[in-house]
Amino acid sequence: MTLKWVLHWQPNAGSTVNSQILSEVSQCVESINGVKEGRWRATLTFYKPHTREQSMVAEFPRDFLGILLPEQPNKYYFIIRGQRIVLEADSSIQTLMEKLQSYKTRVALHFDGFQYQLGDFQLRVGKVVPTHSENLRGIVMEVEYVPISSVEKARQIMEEFLDIWQEAVSKRSLPGHFMHMEPNFAEYGLTDHYTSQHTAVQYATVMAQLIATVQAVQSVRN
Amino acid sequence: MRPQQPQHQQQRQLEAAPNANPDPAQSGEAPPKQVALAMDRLGDAARLIADIRLGADRLLEALFVAAQPHQSTKPLHLFRKEDASMRQHLQDLRSVGRQLEESGVLNESLRSRSNSWGLHMPLVCPDGAVVAYAWKRQLAGQAGASAVDRTRLALKAFTDQKRRFFPHLDDGLDGQSTESALKKHCGPQVLMGNHQEELSDYKTISDVLLHLEKEVPTLKVFTYERLDWLKRASSLPSSANETSIGTSKEHNFHSSNKLRPGSLSPVATEKISVIELLFPSIFRAIVSLHPAGSIDPDSVAFFSPDEGGSYIHSRGFSVYHVFRRITEHAAMALQYFLGSRAETALHSLLHWICSYQTLFTKVCSKCGRLLLMDRKSALLLPPVYRPYRQFSALKISSTQPNSSAKDTSSDLAQAYHVGCFSEEA
Repeated sequence: MTLKWVLHWQPNAGSTVNSQILSEVSQCVESINGVKEGRWRATLTFYKPHTREQSMVAEFPRDFLGILLPEQPNKYYFIIRGQRIVLEADSSIQTLMEKLQSYKTRVALHFDGFQYQLGDFQLRVGKVVPTHSENLRGIVMEVEYVPISSVEKARQIMEEFLDIWQEAVSKRSLPGHFMHMEPNFAEYGLTDHYTSQHTAVQYATVMAQLIATVQAVQSVRN
Repeated sequence: MRPQQPQHQQQRQLEAAPNANPDPAQSGEAPPKQVALAMDRLGDAARLIADIRLGADRLLEALFVAAQPHQSTKPLHLFRKEDASMRQHLQDLRSVGRQLEESGVLNESLRSRSNSWGLHMPLVCPDGAVVAYAWKRQLAGQAGASAVDRTRLALKAFTDQKRRFFPHLDDGLDGQSTESALKKHCGPQVLMGNHQEELSDYKTISDVLLHLEKEVPTLKVFTYERLDWLKRASSLPSSANETSIGTSKEHNFHSSNKLRPGSLSPVATEKISVIELLFPSIFRAIVSLHPAGSIDPDSVAFFSPDEGGSYIHSRGFSVYHVFRRITEHAAMALQYFLGSRAETALHSLLHWICSYQTLFTKVCSKCGRLLLMDRKSALLLPPVYRPYRQFSALKISSTQPNSSAKDTSSDLAQAYHVGCFSEEA
């Protein structure tokens, strides 16, 4: 397989993300010789339990997510962050869930954008928008180093790439920066060999971070 | 339609020819002459095969005529004559075949010597075509192509081969830099003299590989016969569904030694023609030996440990830029090792390959970074160059704990980006 880091845009205190930043970031990728290849889209769904009694809701995990990744169109990934569970299932499980009606969609988000090739690196820059809306909620970026799949062995390479990337972005004086928070893969039962489950866990972590940021902004406003 | 007289003459000539050269013309004949002789013999063999085919037709015809009613003894006479000439043809073919085997054309038992200029005997390809040098196929004429096209194809094939097998000829500065390198390293030459005995100990594949496994414990070495490697390469997992690496059919060098008595599966040393060096999660290198069972490497290639497919062999190229670059560099290193000391070429090459275990961790010795944008290709690459020029002498001497070895062992561990590498390093 390959190895991927998922980054998210952390706006500076007091500023929000907008599409201007997104286009600047895309130009930045091209300035380091990234070649635009095509579009990509991932979908993330927050689930809520379907119970008759409101009091029961609190007993179910609140952070139950489902993710559809473009590189694995036949799979669907479930994550319960609080309990560090990740599961890879066949994509037909979505039909099953609809039939069961035990969990319903609370909110669904799309990660939409373009894919770039940079030699042995593949980059994806995408905006975070809720389905049926054009409201830009955030920006995510995937940095993928294709030749090897060991999380540890590729760490130095990825860190250096991130340094190069941050340097390129900082030249544009944007109100914010990209952040990488590496989840503890071992807690999810994942090994050093990178898989799409690792990607799913990274997205779940990114979502938690985005939500925290939005909530922080809201609390400041209030 | 039936030129039997000239055939008998030809047979006599062929009988005479093998006897005139009792010893195959290897001693004292220059390689191009050997190649020319081998081409002639292959031509003779082709003619004999054609004669045999014609003879078989005639035999059938004689049988057919004999089956007709009202025939005299004529068909029987024809039959006897054809029988005699067929046996003669087959005998001649056998002797030509023996000659070709002895000169290494039909099998690979001939060791390519250090003064053979890197040229190998003509080989008979699996599709039956005979290849003296690959570019000769073009010159031999392609049906329907014009002379200009043939020449253009031949030139292209020739330049590709030249670039592949004689890369140092492309570099115009090569003569100057080898001189200065030689001047600088008079010292280590003395060291190398002291270790002649050690080097000459590594005469067989077993010696070389056992020594390697001892020195580099993180390395996994496997050996294969050529066809076995092709099977394994095609079965290597190439996607996310990688199962454990060591499950499929493989001949781990240690276990094959233990299993050898009375076991069917281990690779006999004289048939080993592919060595696989695997640093798990870092890279996989494939070295080919020619002829099989010898310690003469003839090609090397690097791949990602996750790559799989029939293109994974010592003359293949990885799909990833980093490993492609290393493979190109390794081809030059191999030529250097073969040119400087052919007897220890394999030993030096394998140790040099092991220096790449730090590919994704060791920063460039010139600029201090791991990733650098390569101007020419506009790609970010780690330091893919590891110096090989001073390698053979110094690496062997690093087993001795003296001060000069300590100084030079830090030289060994150098790595450079494509743009940071200079010949004087």
